Amino acid sequence: MTIVPQPAVPASSKAAEVIDPVYRQIRDLVYKTSGIYKAEEKLYLLADGCGRRMKQLAARTPREYWDRLNAAPFRDAELRELLNEITIGETCLFRSQAQLDALRKVILPEIVVGKTKQITKRLRIWSAGCSTGEEPYTLAINMLEESERLLKGWTVEILATDLNDRSIETAKAGVYGDYALRNTSELYRRKYFSTVDEKKLEVRPEVKKLITFSRLNLQDDSKMLFMKGMDLIFCCNVLIYFDAVSKSKVVSHFFSNLNFGGHFFLGTSESLMKLNAEFHLIHFPGTIAYWKPSLSSGKL
Amino acid sequence: MTTSSDAKIRERVQQIETLPAIPAVFLPLLKLLSNSAEEVKVDEVVRLVSYDNTIAGHCLRLAGSPLFGLAQAPKSIKGAVITLGLRRVETILLTCCLGQAFPATKWVLDPAVFWRHSLGCAMVCRKFSEKLAAADSERAYMAGLLHDIGFMVNCLAFSKEFSKAMASAGQEGIPLGEAEQSTMGFTHCETGRALAEKWRLADDIIEVITHHHAVEQSQKAQPLVALVHLSDLLCRMRGLGYGYYERHKVDLIADPAWAILLKEHRELEGVDLVRFSFELDEAVEEIEALVATVFGSAPARA
Repeated sequence: MTIVPQPAVPASSKAAEVIDPVYRQIRDLVYKTSGIYKAEEKLYLLADGCGRRMKQLAARTPREYWDRLNAAPFRDAELRELLNEITIGETCLFRSQAQLDALRKVILPEIVVGKTKQITKRLRIWSAGCSTGEEPYTLAINMLEESERLLKGWTVEILATDLNDRSIETAKAGVYGDYALRNTSELYRRKYFSTVDEKKLEVRPEVKKLITFSRLNLQDDSKMLFMKGMDLIFCCNVLIYFDAVSKSKVVSHFFSNLNFGGHFFLGTSESLMKLNAEFHLIHFPGTIAYWKPSLSSGKL
Repeated sequence: MTTSSDAKIRERVQQIETLPAIPAVFLPLLKLLSNSAEEVKVDEVVRLVSYDNTIAGHCLRLAGSPLFGLAQAPKSIKGAVITLGLRRVETILLTCCLGQAFPATKWVLDPAVFWRHSLGCAMVCRKFSEKLAAADSERAYMAGLLHDIGFMVNCLAFSKEFSKAMASAGQEGIPLGEAEQSTMGFTHCETGRALAEKWRLADDIIEVITHHHAVEQSQKAQPLVALVHLSDLLCRMRGLGYGYYERHKVDLIADPAWAILLKEHRELEGVDLVRFSFELDEAVEEIEALVATVFGSAPARA
């Protein structure tokens, strides 16, 4: 008799629930086409997203939905709908603490040391595809937190761009409700927001001052060429909607837009896969990023 | 490091009087671990568990806990082993038998943190080697499990100095091995090697214990040492570290260990490292649950 290894996760866990194997096929298709990966314990989120789409399409089983997802000519459109479903609700301030930790604990000290000899201490960050502004405001708050320590005497510029004019207008207003602020601590709420009404808070002017919002199409080559001198680029859950050729072109632009030694962050469960051989894949505690090697060594 | 200082450290480590004897269950347990789950015979496991009252009691208590939701707690050791499953029993065996050699009162490091990292590294080693056709994944699992055994020696024989090293690692956010080197003048690699030699562990395991932070210095079993080195780094970057934030970034593909492993296993080129990292997060959940069942609760992640 042999012993069958038991699932190590207690039976009450979501991850232990029986997931239809078709969802793993869908997970692999989503990863292959968009670079978004839903780990096993997050598979139920994918299943929820598929469930909502199945309802819309009146598909009765995950297998039936899988067939719809693969049927030309609807495949691209349906995949887009599904991506919308599974990334919905990811937009909030302080979305990825691991990315912010990497930024403040590892990258900023490295930049400060790297630029010691420069007369003008300037840090340039680009939030590409900033949607309604949650990401650039999060970055601005974190930079303000460092303004009396690591970044004392530095000029910080945050450029926030999006294709959608309405999103940009919402972003500029900087007014958020509880859902967008669910990860924002009470301390930061008091320090960096003012009350609009009992349900909404507005980002304070000193935070807004750090950010320049503008409309930009990432596929507009001529405009992309001007976005030079970035130390950091954040582009979360935007490239997932691009086809492989466009994605590769945009990523090449990002590589050129970064300073040597600069870092490029995607969404927390998003991969660049093998779109660009020049970027180095870098692991930080709890997160990954892509790095444009320094001119001198190409090493860490 | 110079040869004379190397000899000095060796001398100091060799003089550790408190180096414990090898626990009786340890070698049969390693033999058990070197088999794949399909090859393990339940009676063999029951025999090992029955050998020690503490281990048997622990298995029975755990199998009867509400976690497994049985209407009636298993009364026999065999029943407990089947309820718990192979991986949990192996973990209980290993932690209990090494726990006897290194009593809990002497631990400077939280044993749950230590085992979470060791089990995590073992699991990553296994998953990693499964992607490489010619690699022995069970050997890799064992190597990952034992690579940091020197920390246990440091807890026992150099507790004050090791405490300082741990405090300094936590404060500065540097790797624990670096903190050991600057505080103590040697690391868990040297002390682990002394223990592994005393316990007459296999040569490749001794190589892993000695060189997992300096793969290029390894003479024998270099691909296995490289695999453990990369898995160790990956664990520390994916939430299975030593309980504090390591302020550094890791470029696994530029690491010399990657090139060493690639020379032996060309398939490494095709490994999607990002997806592999995401998949490891699933393993983290599994490890947390495993450690929680053995130690009561999972320690804070880092």
